[in-house]
Amino acid sequence: MSSWRQFAAILRKDIVMELRTKEMLTSMGLYAFLVLLIYYLAVSQANGGFNVGYIAAGLLWLAIVFTSLLGLNRSLVHEKDQGCLDALLLSPIDRPVIFFGKAVGNLLFLLIVEVLVVPMFYFLFLLKTGLVGPVWMLALALLVGSIGIAGMGTMLATMSVNTKGKDFILAVLFVPIMFPLLYAVVAASTAVVMGDAVFFGEWAKQYWQSLGLAAGYDSIMLLAAYGLYEFIIGA
Amino acid sequence: MEATARKTFLGIPVDAWMYGLLFVGTVLTTIDFVLAFFVAPLVIGAGAGGTAVINGVAVSNQLLFSQKIFYFHVPVAISSFLVFFFTAYYGVRFLMTKDKKYDTKARIATEVTLLFVVLTLVTGDIWTRFEWGAWWVWEPRLTTYFIMTLLVIAYFVLRNSIEDEERRATYGAVFGIIAFLDAPISFAITRLIPSSVHPVVLRTGGGLTGVQLASFLMGMFGMLMIAWVVFQFRQREEFARERLDAAKAALEG
Repeated sequence: MSSWRQFAAILRKDIVMELRTKEMLTSMGLYAFLVLLIYYLAVSQANGGFNVGYIAAGLLWLAIVFTSLLGLNRSLVHEKDQGCLDALLLSPIDRPVIFFGKAVGNLLFLLIVEVLVVPMFYFLFLLKTGLVGPVWMLALALLVGSIGIAGMGTMLATMSVNTKGKDFILAVLFVPIMFPLLYAVVAASTAVVMGDAVFFGEWAKQYWQSLGLAAGYDSIMLLAAYGLYEFIIGA
Repeated sequence: MEATARKTFLGIPVDAWMYGLLFVGTVLTTIDFVLAFFVAPLVIGAGAGGTAVINGVAVSNQLLFSQKIFYFHVPVAISSFLVFFFTAYYGVRFLMTKDKKYDTKARIATEVTLLFVVLTLVTGDIWTRFEWGAWWVWEPRLTTYFIMTLLVIAYFVLRNSIEDEERRATYGAVFGIIAFLDAPISFAITRLIPSSVHPVVLRTGGGLTGVQLASFLMGMFGMLMIAWVVFQFRQREEFARERLDAAKAALEG
């Protein structure tokens, strides 16, 4: 079986399982909506002149981070509890292919949740101010960030699911490692949302620079994760 | 249980080298300190009495002396990063050989890194009070060190939450490698993307004169020696403890 077919098989397994139970998508989606409600609580007493657009991109990425922590944990807990991980290890599939299969599956679910949540967020918080940049720029920033989150998150979740304090360990590992990526994509997203109000006349240039740095982070860390995954999954 | 051979280097036992290096390192660092306080001039443009206005904040001259922390802060910071490299290095060696001693070395390197990172944060805090009149600034270097602290703490939290020894070692090695990759990336990204919350204004006209540079370099080497020696002593303590445990187990069994 070629690597591509192995990868497709793992991906299809995840998708079919999700379509049957719809457990992960519903819980992630609902969780994201709850986070939006908490955001309203947070800004509800702010001054009337407070422009939530300044922190809107940060809030959005915060919601995505919390949601993906939930989703990553769940996706790998299932594997472990039902012995699927052992079965995968027994079969002659290359370890990195398992990594890619799971990572792309997690990325897909994360993107679906984002497609639901981002318009909701816009509708709730950004209707008055609107976006300075085009929507596709925001979508691109979301994509680059999600790739990093799904990739590194899959690897960290594979480690954390084998420890005693599963969710907690994932959060403790996840946040410091993802910090540079989150910093870069928040900068890129803020450039799209606020434009020159924050970036003094050259928001597009700042956007592309931040996005480039985020893409650089993705390449380096995903390469490292690809190389190190077989050690984790074998242990 | 076999007797451990005394390792020698150039005919002198390694133990003696360690004590010697510790002595030299401490002496150098102390000389650095003394020179910094008594010989090196105050920062350019500052008088010995009264206050100076830096970036619109009046800084009393007591705090100007905190510029001297620079002589301690930079060596400690660079040492912490160097030792962190060894965490990743021993992690790689462990993954290559599956030899437990590399895991022990990686853990000790991380402990020493934690020590130096905490020192860096504290001295850096004093440094920012001098430079910008604020106790904490989300400046690239400080932010990166904050991340490094979290990474090192995460390393220990991860290790403590795993029961199985081999898995603990493997996960520790992998996370150590990733964490070491993450730190410079974090530094690069926070430096390249300015934070619009605190615009960083660098003070111009600050440089190192000859005497300052000499004492600084001395302190740099001294601190590196101390870092190395702390690592070695800790390592010997750990290996001795392992031999003790093995001996106890052999006696009981």
